[in-house]
Amino acid sequence: MPSAVPTAAPTASMRPAVARVLTEAAHERPGLVVLGADGHGLAMGVRSAFPERYIDVGIAEPNLVGVASGLARAGHAVVVGTMAPFLVRRAQEQIRNDVCNPNLDVTFLGVGGGLGYGTLGPTHHAPEDLGSFAAMPNTLVLCPADATEAAWAVREALDWPGPAYVRLGAREDAVLYPDTEPFDLGRGRPLRPARDALALAMGAGVAVALRAADLLAADGVGLGVLALSALKPFPADEIRAAAASTGVVAVVEEHLDATGLAARTALALAGTWRGRFLVHALDDRYPPVGDRAELLAFYGVDARSVGSAVRAAAACGGTP
Amino acid sequence: MTGRAGSRAVTDDRPPAGAARPAETARRARARLLGLAASRPVHLGASLSVVEILVCAFATMRHDPRDLDRPDRDRLILSKGHGVWGLYSVLAELGVAGLDEPRAGHPIDGTPGVEAATGALGHGLSIGAGLAEAARLDAADRRTLVVLGDGELDEGSVWEAAMFAAHRRLNTLIAVVDRNGMQQEGGTEAVLALEPLAAKWAAFGWRVIETDGHDCAALTGALRTARTPDDRPSVVLARTVKARGVAFMEGSAAWHYGQLDEEQLTAALAALAAGERGA
Repeated sequence: MPSAVPTAAPTASMRPAVARVLTEAAHERPGLVVLGADGHGLAMGVRSAFPERYIDVGIAEPNLVGVASGLARAGHAVVVGTMAPFLVRRAQEQIRNDVCNPNLDVTFLGVGGGLGYGTLGPTHHAPEDLGSFAAMPNTLVLCPADATEAAWAVREALDWPGPAYVRLGAREDAVLYPDTEPFDLGRGRPLRPARDALALAMGAGVAVALRAADLLAADGVGLGVLALSALKPFPADEIRAAAASTGVVAVVEEHLDATGLAARTALALAGTWRGRFLVHALDDRYPPVGDRAELLAFYGVDARSVGSAVRAAAACGGTP
Repeated sequence: MTGRAGSRAVTDDRPPAGAARPAETARRARARLLGLAASRPVHLGASLSVVEILVCAFATMRHDPRDLDRPDRDRLILSKGHGVWGLYSVLAELGVAGLDEPRAGHPIDGTPGVEAATGALGHGLSIGAGLAEAARLDAADRRTLVVLGDGELDEGSVWEAAMFAAHRRLNTLIAVVDRNGMQQEGGTEAVLALEPLAAKWAAFGWRVIETDGHDCAALTGALRTARTPDDRPSVVLARTVKARGVAFMEGSAAWHYGQLDEEQLTAALAALAAGERGA
């Protein structure tokens, strides 16, 4: 279990960790091909070791995914790594029709999903990336919170026989997990025990939830944190079981509320759980200009907002 | 045809399955297609215009209707997926089994002889480019044919793929454009002008071969030329007529999509037979 994450916690980029995983995978799997769209950061090692197995298609995402489909149809495992906003929006039809529907072995790595590109502006944000992939049958959809979890998630995605999506950070993320953290696909990780309330958190939401738990602990309020890695497969049974012991559930995620963790949690709990359901997620607004932390705070996905909402709800004993 | 999967080399010149007489195969496929159109609405015009292209393509390909999954087969992707009734009919005439039941209005994965689900336009050439990349990586002597509609060329992704294939010198990739000059709303030049089309493909770095898309000898020659060595991908611009074969439908946007009643079917089959006699 990681210790508390103070404001000045160490950070690390997911990208070099993922690049190492891809290089190892290319050595282990002779058929593996990596595709990029005018950017090879994730494929640095693959390109050096196996130049013929890295293909840059230029700035052309629909073609990027179509080419991936053709390679996969011929039996190659394919990794597509590029900027999330352009992958999920420009190439959505190719992703759906050419890869997911025929259930091909393509791993999509979306750099800067959510609000990862911060001040670059709304054209570069992808608040809907996870929900977009989760909307397509056959997919595995993962949202790691730090570099260690990202390396694990990419290995899981490579092992998944069909299409998979992993959201990666664009910059630095808080270091949350030791190298030995035992991640388990399809299960959450209880990072803090739930006493008065439970936070369900994914991706950047995990660090926010842990900070909120620290703030609340000083006030004597016990906020549990259940960290989730996957939007698909979604651990609905585990979430129902965890929620049963508390009257306050708070979802904390860097994703559009209507199609992400908040929505799936609401579906899982509907009709079986009564309590206060708090959502700290991105909503139906374009954000102002700001860095990632500022934008998250704009949507209420910050420790102070989560802390005050949970404190108020817990004071009511979770009664709706 | 005797060539089957296995280690035996198969040349391009072996007798094609069921297409030894391509014009006759095309005539039978059209009659079959009209019969299908009597039981459900289909994209008639686009399916009728592409018949010879498909017959002659399969005739020049390494393709075995009795062994559709052989790994060394050439691939054909019907990117203009609304022509699928032409594909079903031609494949059935070539002896592909399992196409008797009602089928989807666009190609879907899992249908015998269908290499990729298409119909959302502008996808096929990229998939074909990926297959050609795979053939290069696998050091496999495998061609990939992608049949495009001319209206489909409005899609920007086609030109992404065209630029990519030329840049990568994917010389086993062959595009065939069914240049019938029509799209849903009317003539291609009125909706969104494509000409000068040959110059466009050439400027994108492709070897361009122009042919009559209904003359089986010319078309087969063009497709064979497209298979000869070059350091570029090849495109065959096949001039066709929308709804070819049924005089009262030809070149008319009114027959883009629809179902034939009994009277129309009789008239269409009579027109098909009359056209054959007149040819």
